[in-house]
Amino acid sequence: METKIGVFLCNCGGGIKNIDFDAAREKVAKIPGVTCVNLSSNLCLEEGKEKMLSCIKDENIERVVVAACSPEFQEHIFRQVLENAGLNGHLFSMANIREQCSWAHEGDVTVKAVELIKMAVNRARLLQPVEKKELSVNREVLVVGGGFSAINAALQLSQVGLRTTLLEKEAVLGAGTGELGNLYGSDTSSMISAVEGDENIEVLTSARMTATEGKIGDFTVRIRKDGEEISHKYGAIVLATGYQTELALDSEPKLRAEDEAISGGNIVSQEKLCRMLENPSLEREPKTIGFMFDFSDENSRFPTLATLNNALAAKQKWGSEIYVFCKNVKVDGEGVEGLYREARDCGVVFLKSEAPPRITAEDGRVEIEAKDVLLGEDMILACDLLVAEELLLPTEGTEVLSSLLNIRRDSKGFYQDENVHLYPIASERKGIFFIGGCRGDLDLGRVLTDISSVVIRVHGLLSSGKIVVDSERVKANPQKCVACLTCIRVCPHGAIQLVRVDSDKEVAEISDLACDACGICAAICPAKAINFEGYTDEQIVAQIEAIGAP
Amino acid sequence: MESKNVLVVGSGISGVASALELANAGISVYLIEKEAAVGGHAASFCCKATDICSKCSACVVFDKIKEAVIHPQIKLLTNSTIKKLSGELGDFRVELTQQPRYVDEERCIACGLCTEVCPADPKAIYPPFAEATPFSYILDEGRCLRFKGEKCDLCRGSCPTKAIGFELKPREQELNVGAVIVATGFDVFDAREKGSLGYGRYPNVLTGIDLEQIFTREGYLRPPTNGKEPQNIAFIQCVGSRDEGHGYCSQVCCKYAMKLAGLIKYQSPGAQVTIFYIDLQTAGKGFAQFYEKYKESIRFVRGVPVEILQTSSGELEVRFEDIAQGKVCRDIFDLVVLSVGISPGKNSWGLAKILGINLADGGFFDVKDSPGSNETNVDGVFLAGACQGPKDIPDSIAHGIAAASKVIQVLSEFASRGQGNQRVH
Repeated sequence: METKIGVFLCNCGGGIKNIDFDAAREKVAKIPGVTCVNLSSNLCLEEGKEKMLSCIKDENIERVVVAACSPEFQEHIFRQVLENAGLNGHLFSMANIREQCSWAHEGDVTVKAVELIKMAVNRARLLQPVEKKELSVNREVLVVGGGFSAINAALQLSQVGLRTTLLEKEAVLGAGTGELGNLYGSDTSSMISAVEGDENIEVLTSARMTATEGKIGDFTVRIRKDGEEISHKYGAIVLATGYQTELALDSEPKLRAEDEAISGGNIVSQEKLCRMLENPSLEREPKTIGFMFDFSDENSRFPTLATLNNALAAKQKWGSEIYVFCKNVKVDGEGVEGLYREARDCGVVFLKSEAPPRITAEDGRVEIEAKDVLLGEDMILACDLLVAEELLLPTEGTEVLSSLLNIRRDSKGFYQDENVHLYPIASERKGIFFIGGCRGDLDLGRVLTDISSVVIRVHGLLSSGKIVVDSERVKANPQKCVACLTCIRVCPHGAIQLVRVDSDKEVAEISDLACDACGICAAICPAKAINFEGYTDEQIVAQIEAIGAP
Repeated sequence: MESKNVLVVGSGISGVASALELANAGISVYLIEKEAAVGGHAASFCCKATDICSKCSACVVFDKIKEAVIHPQIKLLTNSTIKKLSGELGDFRVELTQQPRYVDEERCIACGLCTEVCPADPKAIYPPFAEATPFSYILDEGRCLRFKGEKCDLCRGSCPTKAIGFELKPREQELNVGAVIVATGFDVFDAREKGSLGYGRYPNVLTGIDLEQIFTREGYLRPPTNGKEPQNIAFIQCVGSRDEGHGYCSQVCCKYAMKLAGLIKYQSPGAQVTIFYIDLQTAGKGFAQFYEKYKESIRFVRGVPVEILQTSSGELEVRFEDIAQGKVCRDIFDLVVLSVGISPGKNSWGLAKILGINLADGGFFDVKDSPGSNETNVDGVFLAGACQGPKDIPDSIAHGIAAASKVIQVLSEFASRGQGNQRVH
């Protein structure tokens, strides 16, 4: 029996004047399967929707086509009418006869309007319902890392009622926050004791992730701790694995920031300077200090902030003469311009030069030679201490974790966010997030924002213990699938895996939870086994055939 | 009475981000906007893509706005302002005034018949702007003949859905909410305050915002006078940032200037573009690669000019200190773009008084703890977006989401505290 299609035309309050609606109605009524054609002047208003609803019910309509304005405006309203009439909201197709037809042309456009409607009808005929289903999810969260971001995130997740595990590779929490102690304002040690007293947070130190499988709501993570391997289930994973620094000096091998100071102890990292500042019995206080940043890496917000903070601290504590060499001061962060002014007000001298300065070190002194852009002259500064430029790099574990979790990294090796505009904390795999330094852009305000963002995201996903998803909107047909693995390779969301159907056959299966309905797999499947409901080949072809195109 | 609703003040991109995040968490949101359409500044920026996307984020705004407007958990109130806030976390009472738009949003179908018949010039009834959301038309009292005492009734007669009502009056209402998010955004720095740069006096001195609007409207760089495509263009950075009155970096100007300059070079490869700057702000993930590309085709000059004069032929003489050559120079340009910065909202002072929150030195709303966080000195009142300090679109979205997160945290804590009390009683 033929599918009953109802077509609803709307002349937008009589505003669409270059379509002959009576003629259109006559032509549309002749399309096979079209049971009724209704003309309205206000389909999107309450009275219009009511008429549409009763017509769907009275005529037992199975597919609905609306020919009116752009789906941008009212599609959601019409889908709701279908649902209210007891029809699946996906059994709906729209023809835009206003913006893309009436308004786009001068003169009578009835012919084009009818063609657009024919296309929508042909597509509607083939539409299949997409049901919603509810899936339960694990409410526990794994936070990887033991620094400021990780600890803070665990505390906030616990506050919204989610059990959290902190997984730290070092023996204690907060091991890597040395140079940040005075930057973050809040005391890491009090946060660590809050974590220890929180019964919602489990801390695993000296522990590493060795394998993961599963998907959002249902990750199984294997963890090695003290030579033993345990396995635990989590609903979401948050990476807060931080960054590491490397001194940007021309030396081989490259110097890590945690290496002991070089050249007789007078070329140091920011972290080493912090330790010197904390040392009450320093042998000799440096009288002249040079700082360097922003020559090797444009992304120098954090080095700028560290330099300003530490220069001010050194000025206050030791009263040293301080010279800062840089290309541009990166002040585009909260409060940084204020710090820059404060530093200049108390006598810190900033020397800008386009090329990196030359450094020579001998006899306990360091010489910095640079061409100052203001004077246009070469300057030579002899100082007791040079705080070298630092590059921010991903930690060694980043590569391992990204391959364990199957998420991408950017050109510098940091985790790559799925959408640069919207959610910088989200990976391309649902349920896996990253926050703070491990995503490669760091300053205090942005780190705090990251932490709060991840808390609400994870809370939204897991707090109710269940997620409602579209059921089998994108589906691989097991009869057609030849297990070529193409879809598994291209799926950016890690939503497809092979499952065994019988002793000698494996086929691709798409997880409704992890799928983002991007459609890449459906487009690329060589065996045409993957079906994306609403955009199947048959539906597209039927639309093209409707207007008689070859 | 304890309330689980949340009020979001301001429907720019950060307010919309907050509202969506809360609504998706099942919380009912009142989103109030003083203008007739949602979106704030972010909805007026142009796409700056050349042959590749320049990641300006202008395009993501419309999707977010639409998502918010149709969300069943978000109640949108346009043309509305706060009169009074009382109560405390968990139980705030907010008094609002909603100015009439004289067109019923629920009934307007944006057919355009009213504009067609309106005899006023310029038209008194129109959509707020091309891609406005909600798309309902507005009637401008100042232009409408009826409000000038004439008997005109043409638009009401033409309206097929009876959406127009001249007798609508301002509406007062009171809301009960558990928490408030302030997302009132910023004002663009008024370049007239820097008189020596000639904005407002010389037609070919524009602001970055003017240029955005030209690209949005025309799609290409159409100069304000004589129609000749400009061949020599200067951008001047830090106009209204990092100066005596503005002790902060606006964080967006270097990026938008470079992206607009890149767009100009892409459309007219022959044009010369110069950017005068203090410090280039090229940090941020992935921006360095754009900067490397821009460096090849754009002249960067360190130092910002303080004076622009117009020559008798209408060209602009820019006087600046050429630091590299160590002397004061003058260059002739046919278009100068002032990269105006982000200033605190002009209504901030009044709103701060109504809400009881503090202002920081720069005039933005103050945060309680760490810089860039969301908490104010009033429990239950949070900040989102550029009203707290300059932010670009992605940072505003992130800050809006973070504010929503804070609200959920305090409300769930508040609810569990309430349950504890009940058990005791």
